[in-house]
Amino acid sequence: MLNALRELYRYRELLWTLVLRELRVRYKNSYLGFFWSLIVPLVTVAVLTIVFKRVMGMAIPNYSAYVLAAFLPWMYFQTALLDSSQSVLAQIQLVKKVYFPREVLPLAAVLANLVHFLLALVVFFVYLLGYVGAPLLPSVALLPVLVFFQTLLIAGLSLFISCLNVFYEDTKYIVSIGLQLMFYLVPVIYFSEQVYHAQLVSPEWQRWVYVVYHLNPIAMLMTAYRKVLLPPITVQQVGAVQQQSFTALPMDWGLLATACMVSALTFAAGYAFFNKRKWDFAEQP
Amino acid sequence: MKEPAIVLEHVSKTYRLSHQPYSSLKGILLSMFRYRRRIELHQALRDVNLTIWRGETVGLIGVNGSGKSTLLAIIARVIRPSAGTVHVNGRVAPLLQLGVGFHPDLTGLENVYFNGIILGLTRQQVAERLPAIVRFAELEEFIDTPIRAYSSGMVLRLGFAVAVHTDPEIILMDEVLAVGDEAFQHKCLRKIQEFQKEGRTILLVSHDMNQVRQVATRVVWLHQGQVMADGPTEEVVSEYLAFAEQREREIS
Repeated sequence: MLNALRELYRYRELLWTLVLRELRVRYKNSYLGFFWSLIVPLVTVAVLTIVFKRVMGMAIPNYSAYVLAAFLPWMYFQTALLDSSQSVLAQIQLVKKVYFPREVLPLAAVLANLVHFLLALVVFFVYLLGYVGAPLLPSVALLPVLVFFQTLLIAGLSLFISCLNVFYEDTKYIVSIGLQLMFYLVPVIYFSEQVYHAQLVSPEWQRWVYVVYHLNPIAMLMTAYRKVLLPPITVQQVGAVQQQSFTALPMDWGLLATACMVSALTFAAGYAFFNKRKWDFAEQP
Repeated sequence: MKEPAIVLEHVSKTYRLSHQPYSSLKGILLSMFRYRRRIELHQALRDVNLTIWRGETVGLIGVNGSGKSTLLAIIARVIRPSAGTVHVNGRVAPLLQLGVGFHPDLTGLENVYFNGIILGLTRQQVAERLPAIVRFAELEEFIDTPIRAYSSGMVLRLGFAVAVHTDPEIILMDEVLAVGDEAFQHKCLRKIQEFQKEGRTILLVSHDMNQVRQVATRVVWLHQGQVMADGPTEEVVSEYLAFAEQREREIS
């Protein structure tokens, strides 16, 4: 693995060129260009806010900011995985002719999406400070740590998925279904506090359900993004039957550390998996 | 003094071919219910020993499926041999087939950068060689146009221009000259001759025996993954042609 990383470092210029190429190509033929990657989350969040606030009755001030704080990292996760699943196969002709570390292909797809995510975060802060008028929390200093570990997690999964997709093209369909289901298993449209107080769960099990739910590293990262970027709130759920309100839970540092560790391990495992098979790519008929 | 550029020792390559390629989940699920997997081993190369010396231009000939492209892929480090060792001294540049590595939506210039870097140049080096590359490709007017507007000849020229300007010590050509018009082929041949004078090593896969006769200083004839003959161009080519003719007669 160290040798592979050293070889990757030698080809860093290729990696960077691929990232630039990906960024250039994506919106080459559209008038609004990069703005599309902002319009998509903004429209989605607007719709989610209307539905959940007006129709479902989430009586939370600045609900949209809380949705956006989790939705942007979710978009990063989703689009990076979908883009990278095809990355090796799309360049198979090149792979069959030229020597280069194969991992640059999925990694470039991930990094291009990271650039989009960072730009979207800038817009998020403009929205937060300008429109919502929320204060900037000191915990925002932790944001780079979250972005770093999320990127490790995404890169690890991407290496795994892009490699598998060369041999079994079903992979990309499985990934897109998996992502659709995963969307409901992470706190984007709801809050992790609601998981803690879920009606099905008896009080003595609350803590356990909360922990198990957050063992999924991407769920924990989403929760962490919210807690780091935005002040804690009391979640008000105006249901048809009864009105409930849940006070904000503090950040669970143990669970966050676990999520970071799982992300790092995912990267190591994904890279090892990829390395073991990357010289078989060119032999695929 | 003769210096080896490429040394192949006991190189074999076995491909696993499955008649029911497991490229889909359905295939895997179905195969689970079958009695046994139908995987066939195909030996593309069998115990090939070959030393290519610096400055040689070697033509690789043989019928389709004789292992020429596999051999080239092994030298390019794209495929790993199943057995044996490969030593390559010097930087290898494969000449890519038409349009490989080019993105249709990007301009010629952007594609030159990408292609040059993937062939092992730094961004700085590409920038330095840019004028020469564009001049060689004769694309001064179109370099800022997306590739998708190019004719196939233009794409070919650009790809060739980048590859020959990467300053490779060993050049691999797999049927790349078959496309392209007369003028372009002449230009390529001149470039090959220039490379020969500079003492670079060239490996050329071709079915065009006239072309092989024209440029190769030595010819290796592969048949069913084995070296059938290896020697001076004229000798091996006429041996191969006689073989091909006889085979044709047997078929008819």
